[in-house]
Amino acid sequence: MSRRIAIVEDEPAIRANYTDVLKRQGYDVAAYADRATAMSAFRTRLPDLALIDIGLADDVDGGFALCQELRALSASLPILFLSARDSDFDIVAGLRLGADDYVTKDVSLPHLTARIAALFRRSELAQAPAGADDVLARGPLALDLKRLSVQWNDRRVDLTLTEFWMVHALARHPGHVKDRDSLMRDARIVVDDATITSHVKRIRKKFVAVDASFDRIDTVYGMGYRWRE
Amino acid sequence: MSIRIKLLLVLSVFLAIPFLGWGYVRELDRVLQNAQEQKIAGTAQAVATALHDRARLFDRTPVPLESLEKEHRGSGDAPQAMPHPGAVAEVEQILNGMSRTTSRIWIVDRNLDVLARTGSLHAPTAAPEPEPQGLERIGRWIEEGLLHPLYALALAQPTEDFSEEGAAATLAGMREVDGALAGRLTTTRRTTPDGRAVIVAAAQPIWIGDDVRGAVVVEETANAELALRNRAFERLFTIVLATLLIGSVALTLFASRLTARIRRLRDEAEAAIDAQGRVRGALAGSSARDEIGDLSRSFSAVVTRLAQYAGYRENMASRLSHELRTPLAVVRSSLDNLRQAAVPHEARVYIDRAQGGLARLAEILTRMTEATRLEHSLHDAERERIELGALVTACVDGYRLAYAARVFVLDVPAAPLVIAGAPDLIAQMLDKLVANAHEFAPAGAPVAIRLAQDDVHAHVEVENEGPLLPEGMRERLFDSMVSVRAQSGGETPHLGLGLYIVRLVAEFHGGGARAENRTDGKGVVVTITLPLAVDR
Repeated sequence: MSRRIAIVEDEPAIRANYTDVLKRQGYDVAAYADRATAMSAFRTRLPDLALIDIGLADDVDGGFALCQELRALSASLPILFLSARDSDFDIVAGLRLGADDYVTKDVSLPHLTARIAALFRRSELAQAPAGADDVLARGPLALDLKRLSVQWNDRRVDLTLTEFWMVHALARHPGHVKDRDSLMRDARIVVDDATITSHVKRIRKKFVAVDASFDRIDTVYGMGYRWRE
Repeated sequence: MSIRIKLLLVLSVFLAIPFLGWGYVRELDRVLQNAQEQKIAGTAQAVATALHDRARLFDRTPVPLESLEKEHRGSGDAPQAMPHPGAVAEVEQILNGMSRTTSRIWIVDRNLDVLARTGSLHAPTAAPEPEPQGLERIGRWIEEGLLHPLYALALAQPTEDFSEEGAAATLAGMREVDGALAGRLTTTRRTTPDGRAVIVAAAQPIWIGDDVRGAVVVEETANAELALRNRAFERLFTIVLATLLIGSVALTLFASRLTARIRRLRDEAEAAIDAQGRVRGALAGSSARDEIGDLSRSFSAVVTRLAQYAGYRENMASRLSHELRTPLAVVRSSLDNLRQAAVPHEARVYIDRAQGGLARLAEILTRMTEATRLEHSLHDAERERIELGALVTACVDGYRLAYAARVFVLDVPAAPLVIAGAPDLIAQMLDKLVANAHEFAPAGAPVAIRLAQDDVHAHVEVENEGPLLPEGMRERLFDSMVSVRAQSGGETPHLGLGLYIVRLVAEFHGGGARAENRTDGKGVVVTITLPLAVDR
C-alpha cells in the first residue's frame, strides 16, 4: 500500500506541481487548498505525512493552526512546514507547534522528496532496533543514519531532520571546517547565512539541554563550523 | 542677527517721535511768544489809554514814583523839576493795579525822561512744593535725578538769576520806544546784557490830541513762557521715553518668547533627524494656534511622513521578497517537474539556463530579506564578552581562504580588546565590510583591517584602495537600499543592504559606522566604533 501524503497549499500551481512530483515518486497524494477542507478530510482519515503551507490565502497563520489540530489528532504523524516565509521567528514557531521540519519554498523538488523520504524512514524505523553498521559514533555522539536519530552519552537528542543532517555533516569529518554553503547542501536546505547560524545555535541548545558541558561545535568566524573531537 | 535685535532696530523708528515733538514744541513756543507779546501789548495799551489826553502830566518833568525816589536821591542827580503832585498820584493809581504782575512798566515822555516806573522783571519766589509721597517720590526722583539733567542739555532753562543793569539807561534808542514815539504799538524781544534771560517788551504811544507825548513801555522776561514750553516738552519727552521703554521691554519679551519657540522647534527638528538623515523619533507638534504652531505641526507631519517612508523602504525589501517567493516557487517546481519528465535533450539546455537564472533570483531574494532577518534576530541576540582581536584574526584567516587572490593586511594590537557583543553578528558585519572592500579594491591591491582603541571605544577599520565615495553619499551609505555602485549587472546582486547590515550590527552594540575617503585620496576607509566592555 502506497503512503499517503496530504498537501495543504493555497497556490494552485505549486499545489499541482508538488502533487505531480510526489505522485511520480509513487506516493498517494491528497491536495487541499484551505484549512477547513483539509481538517475535515483529516478527521475522516489521517495521512501518513502532511506538507503544510503556513499562509493559506487570507488565513495568514492558517498552517500553524492546522499543525496544532493535526498534532492533537496524532502525536507521531510527520509534519513538514513549507513556506515562503523564512524568518527565524516562523521557523521557531512552526517547530514549537510540533512540526518535524521546516523548509522554505526555495527548496528544490529533489531536496523536498529526499526530505520526505527521510521523514518516512525516521518515523517507520523509530521503534526498530539499531543495526550497528548504520551508526556513526564520535565519542559520546552516536548518529543512527537509518533512523536519523542522535544520541549523546546514550541520551536521545531530539533534532529535526535539517538539524540531524547538519550534525552529520559536521561530525563526519571532525576537525574540518564546514562552511555555510556545504552545510546547506548537506542539510538539503536553501537559506541564508544568518539562518544557518540560528540553526547551529538551536542544535547547540538541544545538546546543552542533554549535557550542560557540551561544547563540541566550534564557530570558525569568517569560515563556518567545526566538530571538535 | 537675531530676531530680537531686528525688532529692536525696527523699534528705533519711534525715536523719530522726539524730533517730531521738538518741532511741535517750537510751534507751541511761537504761539506762546505771540500770546505773551499780545498780553504785554494789551497791558501797555491799557496803561496808555488811561494816560491819553492828560496833557498836564507831560507839562513838566515829573518826579519818579516813590520806588525811584531813593535811587535818584542817592545818585545825587535829582531832576530839577518836580512833578505836579496830583499828576503823580494819578499815575501812581493807574500803575498800582499792575504792580502785582511780573512786568515792569515805564512811562516816558518824548525826551525819554522816565515819568514813572513800577514792578520788577524778577518773579517773586515761589512757595516750595509739597514733599511727594510713595510712588510719586520715585517718579519725582526719576524726573529730577535722571531726566532734568538730560533736558537741561537740550533746552534753555529759565533763570531768575539775571542782571537788569543798564536797563534804565538803555531805554534810550530802544526800538520799541522809538516805534512808540513814532506813534506805533511796537513789540520787541531782546536778551539781557548778561545773556541769561530774554526780555519781551511792548511800547504804546500816549496820545495828547494828535501828538505823541510819551510812551508806556511794558517789559517782561520770557521765563514764564519758557518754563511753560519746557514743561510741555518734558512732559512729551517723558511720555515718549516711557512708551519706548515699555515698548522695548514688551517687544523684547515677545521676541524672546518667539525666538525661544523657534529655537525649540529647531532643536526638536534637528533632534528628530540624525546626521544620517534617519528619523530618530516623532516630533510632538505644538498646539499653539499661530504660525509657529503651524510650522511645528507641519514639521511634525513631515517627520512622520519621513519616518513612514524610511519604514516603507526598510520593509519594502522584505515584503517584495516575500511576494516574489511564491511565483518563484511555481517556476522552480515546474522546472523540477519538467526535468523529471521525458524531455528531448536539446530542451534540457534551456531548463538548465532557466534554473541558473532562478538561482540568481533566489539569491537576490535571500539578500533582500537578510537585513530584515537580522533585525529580527537582533531582538533576541545574546551578548557575551568577546576578545575582538582574536575574533577579527579568526575572521581574516577565513577571508584569506575565501578570497585567495587578495592580500589582507591585519593590524591587531597586542593588548586584548574586550567588548560585550554577539560574535556572530560582529563576524557578519566584518564579512560585509570585507566583501565590500574586496569588490572595490583593484586586483593586487591589499585590503587592510586594523584594530585600535581609545579610552572607551574599539575601532575596527577596513581600508581599501579604489574609487572614492561620491560627495553627499557619505552619510546615506549606511541606509537601507542605498548603493554607490554603478548599475552594472554583475554576478552577485547589489541591493545596498550590506552597509545597512553593518550599521544595524554596529548600532546594536551601541556603536556606529562611518565611511571616509582616505587622506591620500586613493581609497576608502570604513570605521566601526564599538564601546569597550566595562570591566567587572
